[in-house]
Amino acid sequence: MPADPTSRPAAHRRRPRAAHILGQNSGLILAAAILLLSIIVFAGMFAVQQGRLPGDFEITSTVNNTMPLALAAIGQTIVVLTRGIDLSVGGVIDLTNALAAIFLAGSILHMIVVSLLIVLAGAAAGLINGLLVGLGRLQPIVVTLATLSIFQGLAIRVLPQPGGAVPAGYTSFLVNTNRPTALVFLALAALGWMGLRRSRLGVNLFAIGNDPQAAIALGVKAVRTRIVAYTIAGALYAVAGIFLAANATAGDATTGDGYTLTSIVAVVLGGVSLFGGRGSAVGAICGAFITTMIVNILFFAHIDPLYQSFYEGLFLVIAVVFGGLIGRLVRSGR
Amino acid sequence: MTGAIARRTLLAASGTGLLAAALPHQAGAADRKLKIALSNSYIGNKWRIEMENLFKAALQMEPYKSQVEGTWFNSGNNVSQESQQISGLIGERVDAILVDAASPTGLNGILQQANARGILVVSYDNVVTTPAAIKVNTDQFAFGKKLAEFLVQKMHGKGNVIMVTGVPGTFVDQQRNAGADAVWKQHPDIKVVNRYTGMWDSSTAERNTASILPSLPKIDGIWCQGGTDGVLKAFIAAKRTPLPPTAGEAENGFRKFMTGYMGEKVDGLSIGQPPYLVLVALELARRILQKSYPRKDITIPFPFVTTGTVKTGETVFPHLPDSFFADFTDSGPDATVKICVDAALKGTPCPGHLHVRLPKA
Repeated sequence: MPADPTSRPAAHRRRPRAAHILGQNSGLILAAAILLLSIIVFAGMFAVQQGRLPGDFEITSTVNNTMPLALAAIGQTIVVLTRGIDLSVGGVIDLTNALAAIFLAGSILHMIVVSLLIVLAGAAAGLINGLLVGLGRLQPIVVTLATLSIFQGLAIRVLPQPGGAVPAGYTSFLVNTNRPTALVFLALAALGWMGLRRSRLGVNLFAIGNDPQAAIALGVKAVRTRIVAYTIAGALYAVAGIFLAANATAGDATTGDGYTLTSIVAVVLGGVSLFGGRGSAVGAICGAFITTMIVNILFFAHIDPLYQSFYEGLFLVIAVVFGGLIGRLVRSGR
Repeated sequence: MTGAIARRTLLAASGTGLLAAALPHQAGAADRKLKIALSNSYIGNKWRIEMENLFKAALQMEPYKSQVEGTWFNSGNNVSQESQQISGLIGERVDAILVDAASPTGLNGILQQANARGILVVSYDNVVTTPAAIKVNTDQFAFGKKLAEFLVQKMHGKGNVIMVTGVPGTFVDQQRNAGADAVWKQHPDIKVVNRYTGMWDSSTAERNTASILPSLPKIDGIWCQGGTDGVLKAFIAAKRTPLPPTAGEAENGFRKFMTGYMGEKVDGLSIGQPPYLVLVALELARRILQKSYPRKDITIPFPFVTTGTVKTGETVFPHLPDSFFADFTDSGPDATVKICVDAALKGTPCPGHLHVRLPKA
């Protein structure tokens, strides 16, 4: 078709709408694609070995098991967007998991109040991080490394040995073992994220992550935004701790430790840039599910257990390199 | 007939038929091997490696070779990963799962689901709290108590003791410390002058001891949950010799000191949490599945040696590393299990039958 000379400059200025969306969400789309691929591989391996497709049990246990990580990854995303990083995830989950195992009991009202207080405790932990990073102008990695140990210590104080109990009704409300109803909570979290993304706070988060100086010059209150980001993250880690306790039906003040690293892994797999300002919590949720699917795939591949972590690391590197390449390719189309 | 088969294949291929999946299961029920899987939380220390090697060796020895089809998984001490692997085992419909858990409580949810689906769950070493699992273990409270009583006797009820504890937040650590504290309480002249963690690891125990030792008075007894050889090396490095009476774990290095090592000889008691707990768990699972043993928890006695009873080539191995756990096999006439050193080192089978003695049913 011969080009219309008048429309040409416009076409150069603006990319087609589809390409624009693709460019803006390359991380998220890639994460979703990797997740889909891993689900297909897993389902294929499962079907070959078991003569049936993964059923209710497999889907439900995968979802329930991933819930704490998915929630922690959303919190981590919010912090990472501000060019921060939060290593205290493990400590906050330890602490809130311990609190949940001890105090969740009694009437429904009592359990609701306790749950809210635990979320507040998580938010308070996040607030401490936020104040030290925001007002104290300290490096996030140092601050949260220190608070990680503090929260871990507090958690052991609260629950010196694994124990406590979560009422069965509470467990089946949060993580029903027969149907993947926990997905509803995840959908709510994703909706919350979309709301946040469009709010003034959300815009500020992205702004200070992209270019703090420019954002401040434009009147963004960087300190306040950072403090709020860490606080929301803390509250989300608390919800993760509650889900962890519900899943296990009891508490252990050390089971949260692993989430510090895995939440960062999920965030990276989810296409969130560790340099800040770019990414989506929905991507991080996909990232969380990818890490679980990798465990599932390695399980059914019957890899020698000694090499399991080797392959986990390998998949991670491949996914990240692959993601980076595609992202660059899409952006270079500008 | 052929039509029925074709339909069955079709069903299986479409992956929908519960029926199709259940068929091969039932067909060989009488003569098929028992599917027993090992879910191990952590493979980062020598103890766990020996434990898993013993399991691999046993699978290649009778009676397990012809009766059991075994698999094993590690999860990097990550609860959610171990939980996910166990759900994989449930999906595979194994007959029994042996669990050395990453957390005493963290797996309760998934193990209850396994049990509800008719899978036998045997938990050992780092046991879980849910009643859905049968437990195989030693008495950790007695462990700490026995170590402490040995020191009380050697010190004539008087003097300074240090306690090198284990990984905080674990049930085992808590129980062993409580066992020791119960003994100290009865002997007020024994002073615990310091208590710090060795993380059940020789190099950590050595490092922590080296940094704390200069601030301590004369030590008359060492109570150590793990990393005992490291503690003694730190004492030697600080020239705190001769070494005080020591009650510790079953590290080969510690036992070397009991027979004379690095120019020192220590009067000691060495008790081990035996890696062969996995074999007891395996035997228990086999017997319960074959309905020749009741479903019940088992506590097995500790293997232990003193400076008087330690034997080169049997309970201490001069040519093996210090960090090797020398209690991979039991000894004596009432031994729970006797197995050769190659099984623990390489996971290769030993000649002959493997006989695991379970307590009287």
